Amino acid sequence: MKPIKDFASRFDAIIKLDENLIVKKENRYFLVNENLKRAIDKDFFYAGAYLGKIRDDKFFPSFILLRMIAKEKANKIIVNEKTEWLFVCGRDVFKGGIIQIVGSKRRGDYALIINQRGECLGFGKILCNLDEEKCKVAVKNILDVGDFLRRETRQT
Amino acid sequence: MMSGKEFFVNRYEKLGWKFKDIELKQAIRVNNMNIAEEEFVKRMQASGIELEKIPFLKGGYWIYKSKFSVGATPEYLLGLYSIQEAAAQIPATLFTDLKDKMVLDACAAPGGKTVQLADLMRNTGVIVALDVDKRRLTALSNHLERCNVHNTVVYKMDSRQASKLNMEFDRILLDMPCSGNFAADKEWFKRRTIKDVERNAKLQREILAETAKLLKNNGELVYATCSLEPEENELNINWAIETLNLQTEKINCYGEEAPTNIFDKQLDNSIRNCKRIWPGQTQGFFVCKLKKA
Repeated sequence: MKPIKDFASRFDAIIKLDENLIVKKENRYFLVNENLKRAIDKDFFYAGAYLGKIRDDKFFPSFILLRMIAKEKANKIIVNEKTEWLFVCGRDVFKGGIIQIVGSKRRGDYALIINQRGECLGFGKILCNLDEEKCKVAVKNILDVGDFLRRETRQT
Repeated sequence: MMSGKEFFVNRYEKLGWKFKDIELKQAIRVNNMNIAEEEFVKRMQASGIELEKIPFLKGGYWIYKSKFSVGATPEYLLGLYSIQEAAAQIPATLFTDLKDKMVLDACAAPGGKTVQLADLMRNTGVIVALDVDKRRLTALSNHLERCNVHNTVVYKMDSRQASKLNMEFDRILLDMPCSGNFAADKEWFKRRTIKDVERNAKLQREILAETAKLLKNNGELVYATCSLEPEENELNINWAIETLNLQTEKINCYGEEAPTNIFDKQLDNSIRNCKRIWPGQTQGFFVCKLKKA
């Protein structure tokens, strides 16, 4: 549970999950409900809502977890349509593509990248203080939903 | 020679269908748990993708025109739709009342129908999804994550050993591993022989026999293949009626009433409750619903 809470806190978010319903399988965390809990045994491959995994002591979130955090009060950067396309192709966010900032504008902080419809596209690290005029490349892409396609390529 | 195009086409003619080559249209299915259908259609149109409603499916659309791959749009990556062939969208819709049910998807990967079941269940109840291939299970897991599915547990398990689960199910989907058909595979006639068909038919009977044991009284089992070969379809269902104490249920979906006479062998009359879909608007397909007798 701690890695998940710690990860959410990077966005200044607090996520409330029932610890009794979090199941760890090797290095991966899943959130299940009571019905699912009854249906799983130790040999399951995947269960409920995948939350993320630990690799080399680092937590890698799932998109389900990012969507959960996006529902809470958290650092969010809302981007325009062109930036949405570029971001899901793995590109960083330029300041000109930002429509709205919710929460931190501070360099070094983390923010969820959200499209104009409120859907979470991934997350990134703020590269410069977003109030500053000289700030151009504003957010470094750390993870975006285009990863689903990259996973397919890696697996073939 | 029990193979080759002529051999199989002759069989189709004996079953009442004249061979014609077809070009399959790409189809998608809206994930209603993630977006309302009306909003989805508007959104796709705005992004330059022209859709054509599939008349016999709820939430199914053919891609009429698109400037880019529909497997790489933000909407796809956000799980708002799945790419799923039109006939393959039928089986999951044949169950009645899926909400809060215990469902087995016995041959689940890569997960198109699992996600569709979760969508129809609105993420309630439990889906137990099985498959044997680890790579395909990873694809299934990615599919579940992308589409925001929360009600599924996946096991690496051969469905011929499904009794090991020690569970009973209200609904069982058997989207069987099968020989496929020429509409979905241009090399099909070169690749397949009647031996493959018989081997697959045997595997299907083994899966059906094992999973039928897990069906609750009043439970529903949907059997589907994308094969046109009667050994994998009508003949297997006839075998299930005779040996597994199952009976067919009438279904209301796209497709023709299945024949009850196969190459001069008379089958149980209730086989006509099954649907055979010859390639045309969709790929070739066979589907039926079974219950305990």
